[in-house]
Amino acid sequence: MSGKAIIEILGGLANVVIVLIVAPFFEGVLRKLTARIQSRQGPPLWQPYYDLLKLLGKEDIESGESPPMQRFAVYLSFAAIMTVACLVPFGSHAPANGIGDVLVLIYLLTLCGIATMLAGLAAGSTYSLIGMNREMMSLITLEPLLVVAMVIGAIHVHSFRLDQVLAGSVYAAAGFPWSGLIMLGVMLISFQAFVQRVPFDIAEAETEIMEGPLMEYSGPKLALFKYVQMAKLVIYSALFVALFIPWGHTGLYPLDVLIHLAKCLVMVLGVTWVAATHARYRMDQAIRYYALLVGISVIALGMAVYGY
Amino acid sequence: MPAHKIIERLKDQFGVAIQRADLPGNGRLFVFVDSAALKSICRFVFRDLDARYVTSIGSDDRPYSDSFLVAHHFAFDRTGLLCSLLTHLTGNPPKVDSISKEVPAANWAEREFRDLLGIEPVGHPYPKRLVLPDGWPEGKHPLRKDVAWNFVPEGYDEDREFAFDEPPEGCMVIPFGPFHPTLDEPAHFRLYVEGEMVRGCEYRGFMAHRGIEKLGESVLTYNEIPMAAERICGICGCVHNVAYAQAVEQAAAIKPPPRAEFIRTIMLELERLHSHLLWVGLACHIVGFDTLFMQSFRIREPLMWMAEKISGNRKTYALCLIGGVRWDFTAELKAELQQVLLKVEQEWRAVVEAVAGDRNLQKRTLGIGVTSPELVKNVGLIGPVARAAGVDIDCRRDHPYAAYDRVEFKVITGTGGDVWSRLLVRAQEVFESIRIIRQCLEKMPEGPLQLQLPDELPIGRMGMSSVEAPRGEAHHFVITGENNRPRRWRVRAPTYQNLQGIPAMIKDQQLADMTISLGSIDPCFSCTDRMEIVDIRSGKTTVYTQEELREMARRKVL
Repeated sequence: MSGKAIIEILGGLANVVIVLIVAPFFEGVLRKLTARIQSRQGPPLWQPYYDLLKLLGKEDIESGESPPMQRFAVYLSFAAIMTVACLVPFGSHAPANGIGDVLVLIYLLTLCGIATMLAGLAAGSTYSLIGMNREMMSLITLEPLLVVAMVIGAIHVHSFRLDQVLAGSVYAAAGFPWSGLIMLGVMLISFQAFVQRVPFDIAEAETEIMEGPLMEYSGPKLALFKYVQMAKLVIYSALFVALFIPWGHTGLYPLDVLIHLAKCLVMVLGVTWVAATHARYRMDQAIRYYALLVGISVIALGMAVYGY
Repeated sequence: MPAHKIIERLKDQFGVAIQRADLPGNGRLFVFVDSAALKSICRFVFRDLDARYVTSIGSDDRPYSDSFLVAHHFAFDRTGLLCSLLTHLTGNPPKVDSISKEVPAANWAEREFRDLLGIEPVGHPYPKRLVLPDGWPEGKHPLRKDVAWNFVPEGYDEDREFAFDEPPEGCMVIPFGPFHPTLDEPAHFRLYVEGEMVRGCEYRGFMAHRGIEKLGESVLTYNEIPMAAERICGICGCVHNVAYAQAVEQAAAIKPPPRAEFIRTIMLELERLHSHLLWVGLACHIVGFDTLFMQSFRIREPLMWMAEKISGNRKTYALCLIGGVRWDFTAELKAELQQVLLKVEQEWRAVVEAVAGDRNLQKRTLGIGVTSPELVKNVGLIGPVARAAGVDIDCRRDHPYAAYDRVEFKVITGTGGDVWSRLLVRAQEVFESIRIIRQCLEKMPEGPLQLQLPDELPIGRMGMSSVEAPRGEAHHFVITGENNRPRRWRVRAPTYQNLQGIPAMIKDQQLADMTISLGSIDPCFSCTDRMEIVDIRSGKTTVYTQEELREMARRKVL
């Protein structure tokens, strides 16, 4: 194996470790800040670590319709999101170029959503099926936004390579980067939906469909799903930062990691604030909202093709 | 329309079918009618005289008059009159013409006396079992006088399942309940869903029917019942406590001292305050807006502490006895209550201003769970649900009790009839409640708390009382009896009527709106009847049956 490949693999693994360590902390920040907005004391910042440890140590009850598929769904989901972690840049440029390109990244993110749908299907109850249905609808309407953002970057830099696209490529237009700025706006106001928090936590809405696809999970598998949700928050933030706010790197790897994570934290704070001040949308309302954004992003794509 | 005018019109229309009319004064009218004409009289009162349906009551009167008794209660809200149409039934088995086709609101009440007393409502459009469990054998009726309060019939099958109706064609069935995160108590809705649209539903409730009425009629005494009545509801218990005491007082022609009336008014309004704040919190939680949920609970908490300071309890104030109240307000309590009200008012004003223009919250509540004034009339909807639909009814003003005739307040109404206007109505009622309490604190006269009562209350008298609970009108009916307890005590909680409006409210709207539509009537079901205990040391899980629990409760071990 060549030296380059080893460095790529090590870089990817470093990313996985960063995500695994940081994700519960970000969740902790989110919870604490939410509590503060709600005039509560809130749990300690490291509470999510305890929660995960507690769930991991609990009895695993397989009560759904099809336990093998439930098992498969949760491992698939966790594996997919961790592979995504290898591909996304944290501090330095995207580490694992050899594994795949931007298209693989998009497939893997979609796979994550499909794993949730499988989980809902495996649980087999009416509520989890509704949750699955909703997950599918939001996947179909939401995913194009991210695709368009990355494809616009790819058009500008004439490459699907991860390290080139995930480095502020959306602004690399020949002319004034109109398409990049439009996509910045679109992604900013749809970010809440990508990380599936209120008002877009529709597929899991506890007070409507009782956590939908997750309803039959318990113990370690529930812990993994919770971990995936937390990791999604970090990874989507990292993706957003890499695509749209790439500036401020020093060249010193550990420092750059911290800078990158600080930018991600700002995204998380924004997510928290929106989640604490909104009521949940209904599926049809959310779909109409996404559809409008898809329309706008297609216009941006057109502009990118003509060099803006 | 004044009472004598109503009697006149009834006599004109029905002649000898009107057997007797009692007008015991202060806004009550009892009309005894011929059972054959009952149905047409009810239609006339409900449609032509435009009275509001309150409830229907069955009673086993055989030990006293050799007959069963059925009463349909109507309210003339504009003239402050509660009217009871009574008839004696001599047949065996007793039968009475059902009025549910003319008065749809009577649907449940008629099924209830069919279950509990075996009085058959002939021609009922949907004579399915309502209250009794499904394994209960036919022909046994627990509210009859020859049945003991702890009677369990032979062949009672505790585990028999409920037989559901066939869903309409092309619809999927989605079970909602008996346990669901947004249902605080067990109740089961079977929703018929087409895609994401709800096309209809079947309801099965009464899963924890506790037989409190039977207990009151056969075990407890006049002054013990208020404490049992308070436990009918965990949120608006004081309402039932006061309503029962007033019904007995009214039957026995007792008037409690003025200071007691003011204290009752203050506690009822304190209860409305905490209940409305609780509701706003829960409603916001249902639509995923947890920040307002937390904030309204924070604002509510000092009210609970205040209630504890006044009565010794956050809830269950144990306020009333017949002819008065059990405890007093000191000067310090008054001063502190003023302080708490001031703080709650300020904080709530800030919340209401923030919410009033909230487009995001409107998205989930505007035009959802709509009720029209026609539905309100037909199903007998009450309280904020009726007022939000523009129907201006409020027992505090229409049938004044306690000290409500001595304070000023506005009856808040809305126009939309949807969840949003119910939210606004409740939010504004908080300010009116604060106003009422302030006036009461100011005007409360000195004097005794409790009347000296004669040894025995008169026997065979009837009394009815309507109290405006936070959820709507709670109605109590009492026939006084021997052995220091009532012969018949009937409670109709507000949710009893409001729940019957749910099928119409959720029809043809999205499944996601079901929870908030149901939540918007502020439903109040009942308590649990079974529990699970986990031994932490051994990790062993034991599920106790109802039988074992009852046994343990008697031995007081756990």
